Amino acid sequence: MSFAMKNLRFSLIIFTTLSCSLVASATISEANALLKWKSTFTNQKSSSKLSSWVDNTSFCTRWYGVSCNQEGSLIRLNLTDTAIEGTFQDFPFSSLPNLAYVDLSMNRFSGTIPPQFGSLSKLIYFDLSINQLTGEIPPELGNLRNLETLHLVENKLNGSIPSEIGLLTSLQELALYTNHLSGPIPSSIGNLTNLVNLYLFSNSISGSLPSEIGNLTNLVELCLDRNYLTGQIPPTFRKLKNLTLLNMFENNLSGKIPPEIGDMASLDSLSLSTNNLTGSIPSSLGNLKNLTILHLYLNQLSGVIPPELGNIESMIDLELSQNKLTGSVPDSFGNFTKLEFLYLRENKLSGPIPPGVANSPELTVLQLDTNNFTGFLPEICKGGKLQNLSLSDNHLEGPIPKSLRDCKSLVRAFFSGNGFNGDISEAFGIYPYLDVIDLSHNNFHGEISSNWAKSRKLGSLIMSNNNITGAIPPEIWNMAQLGKLDLSTNNLTGELPEAMGNLTGLLRLRLNGNQLSGRVPATISSLTNLESLDLSSNIFSSKIPETADSFYKIYELNLSRNKFDGRIPILSKLTQLSLLDLSHNQLDGEIPSQLSSLQSLDLLDLSHNNLSGLIPTSFKDMKALTYIDISYNNLEGPLPDTPAFQKAAADALEGNRGLCSNTPTQRLKPCPITTSWFKKSKKNDYIVVWILVPIVGALIILSICARTFTYYLGKRKLSIRNNSDSKNGEKYFR
Amino acid sequence: MVAQNSRRDLLTASLILTLSLFPITEANSEGDALHTFRQSLSDPDNVLQSWDSTLVNPCTWFHITCNQHNQVTRLDLGNSNLSGHLVPELEKLEHLQYLELYKNKIQGTIPSELANLKSLISLDLYNNNLTGKIPSSLGKLKSLVFLRLNENRLTGPIPRELTAISSLKVVNVSGNDLCGTIPVEGPFEHIPLQNFENNLRLEGPELMGLASYDTNCT
Repeated sequence: MSFAMKNLRFSLIIFTTLSCSLVASATISEANALLKWKSTFTNQKSSSKLSSWVDNTSFCTRWYGVSCNQEGSLIRLNLTDTAIEGTFQDFPFSSLPNLAYVDLSMNRFSGTIPPQFGSLSKLIYFDLSINQLTGEIPPELGNLRNLETLHLVENKLNGSIPSEIGLLTSLQELALYTNHLSGPIPSSIGNLTNLVNLYLFSNSISGSLPSEIGNLTNLVELCLDRNYLTGQIPPTFRKLKNLTLLNMFENNLSGKIPPEIGDMASLDSLSLSTNNLTGSIPSSLGNLKNLTILHLYLNQLSGVIPPELGNIESMIDLELSQNKLTGSVPDSFGNFTKLEFLYLRENKLSGPIPPGVANSPELTVLQLDTNNFTGFLPEICKGGKLQNLSLSDNHLEGPIPKSLRDCKSLVRAFFSGNGFNGDISEAFGIYPYLDVIDLSHNNFHGEISSNWAKSRKLGSLIMSNNNITGAIPPEIWNMAQLGKLDLSTNNLTGELPEAMGNLTGLLRLRLNGNQLSGRVPATISSLTNLESLDLSSNIFSSKIPETADSFYKIYELNLSRNKFDGRIPILSKLTQLSLLDLSHNQLDGEIPSQLSSLQSLDLLDLSHNNLSGLIPTSFKDMKALTYIDISYNNLEGPLPDTPAFQKAAADALEGNRGLCSNTPTQRLKPCPITTSWFKKSKKNDYIVVWILVPIVGALIILSICARTFTYYLGKRKLSIRNNSDSKNGEKYFR
Repeated sequence: MVAQNSRRDLLTASLILTLSLFPITEANSEGDALHTFRQSLSDPDNVLQSWDSTLVNPCTWFHITCNQHNQVTRLDLGNSNLSGHLVPELEKLEHLQYLELYKNKIQGTIPSELANLKSLISLDLYNNNLTGKIPSSLGKLKSLVFLRLNENRLTGPIPRELTAISSLKVVNVSGNDLCGTIPVEGPFEHIPLQNFENNLRLEGPELMGLASYDTNCT
């Protein structure tokens, strides 16, 4: 071999050895830098994944979350969900020049984001999400010209989005959601022409939407919801031809919905709900042939619903509730074949419900309540999937369509406040999933069907304010899952069976305003979950069950306007009772003093009965009592010294000849100052005293006399004995 | 290769995002507040089964009463075997009159945000496991009639701010670990002493005119 060749080989060997050691030393220095950073973590023991971070020679091969390039330099650091607690203050920014991928999400990093991250010029992916980072987003991050993904979500970052963010021209995905960011969206954001996804939702971002957003023509998803954005939606949005998702709900946007939105041909989901948008819904929205979700609810939109919306064959979820929309529902809504959710509630819509509107075979939810709809209800639930139907508070009339009787999918159904008529025993069927049905305030007639008991999940059955007749079918009393039963204000007759005690789940029972008769069964005491019981305005008779004291959760008890007789039962355990109305009955006897244990009682009406005796003085302890009515009884004696009685109006006290009061404002005769005052609620105490004292006194005197007598008797015996036994010598000493 | 990696990362990231991206179906801020409350409770007897937060308002839920404007006025969950804790979000129930959570096993503190329930008439938290202090902010509840906090493990003083609530008729803080003195002004003039008993460190009625009461009680 020539000398030159030997030289070359030698220098190659030297060179490769040197560069290997240089490379090795680069690896070692990066490993050491990371170890130094690791030593600043505050929970050294808990992260088991980092137990591999020891030997700096196995840096690229064995270390968790570390990937190197061919030269042994760190390019990828993935420490997501590694239970690390620490800060970035000592992150070795200058020691990791080749770092391209950093994922430190889902840990417990706190403190601020150091601006030195902006020096990692090769960074492509940067994720610090789901930590406890505070402070502002450093503008130096704008230096990361190669950055394609920036995720800082779910931290506590504040301050404004720096305008330098507009320098990140490689950026494809920017996610800053769920932070405390404030201030405006910088208009420089329009420079990020490679941006595909922009997520800024759930912050406190304010100001107007920059029209420059329209320059982001590659944008596919734009989520700015749950912020404080104001101003109008810029018409430049029409340039966002690739946008599929636009969420701007829960902001303060105002002005009209620009018709240019109709040019956003790729739109799949558009939500502008809960803003202050005005004007009409633009008919150009009908051009959005891919739209599946359209949410415009809770705005101030007016005008009519454009019929063009019915042309959107892809529509699945259409929600326009809580606006000021007028006119009819377009007939074209009958063209929807994929529609699952239709919410039009709380508007000023009028006219009939078009027969087609509920035609969609997929329709699951139909909410039309609180409008001015007129006419008959068309056939609905054609597809057998309708679960949630709300028609309340309209001007609908006529019979219930037959298709509703067979709608087995029904879960929640509200018809109240209309003029629906027909025979209620035939209008409805058996619904295996029905949870709530409200038929109140209509013109239904006929009798209650026993079929309701076969809807085994029925929790609330409300039929009040109709013309329902007949008896309550006995099967109703087997519905142990029933929580609310309201049959009030109808023409029901018959008696309550003992089986009513089976409804142990009942929270609210309203049977008032009927012609129910007979006694209230004692088994009613099983309904211990009752919060509210109203049996008023019926012809119930006999005694109020004593067991009513078992309703320990009850806050409202109304038994007024019946024919209850006998005494008021002792109700002392009903600590939450706020309203007690026993008026307009035939109750007699005295008012039990135990009623004063009802410490929550606010309203007490015992008027129009035959109650007698005194008002218990314990009533002065009923501090919360504000309204009382004891008029038209046979009560006598003084009023208790409590504001409710002292301030009672004359008509709350009248019709009791014996009542008296020393308060001049009460127009009652003054109370006489006689011993009759001793007959108080604990009047027995005084009688006992006046009997016991003489007896005890007599006993004391008698016992004194007895002792004195026996003493003198003994002495006399002793003196006689002494005289007779003195010769015998034995003396009896006591 | 780097581009491919980042595309894959975009997808995995968007899986997390997907859940946040669905627009919210029409709901109600009172229902949302109650839903947040439900999530902080443990409910072995399933009394909250009817609490469906996807409904337009909570007025058909069991244990909830609304007024004619569909605003929540009563929350009745007494004696329901609940544990867990109260949440500040309850303050959003602006028309709430009756907050009945007595006889449960609720722990944690009384959120001072409950002071924002300006229509509140009854605050019944008695017989629970509540700790911490009675928030002085409760003095803002100008319609309050019933304040029953007895049988808990509350500490600290009875806030003097409560004496400014002229509507207060029934106060019971017995069976706690309160300290300092018992207020005697305003509505407290008529509250019987037995409603303060079983507080080992409560010193007795405040003696007006004397300096330094509530010593060592903060």
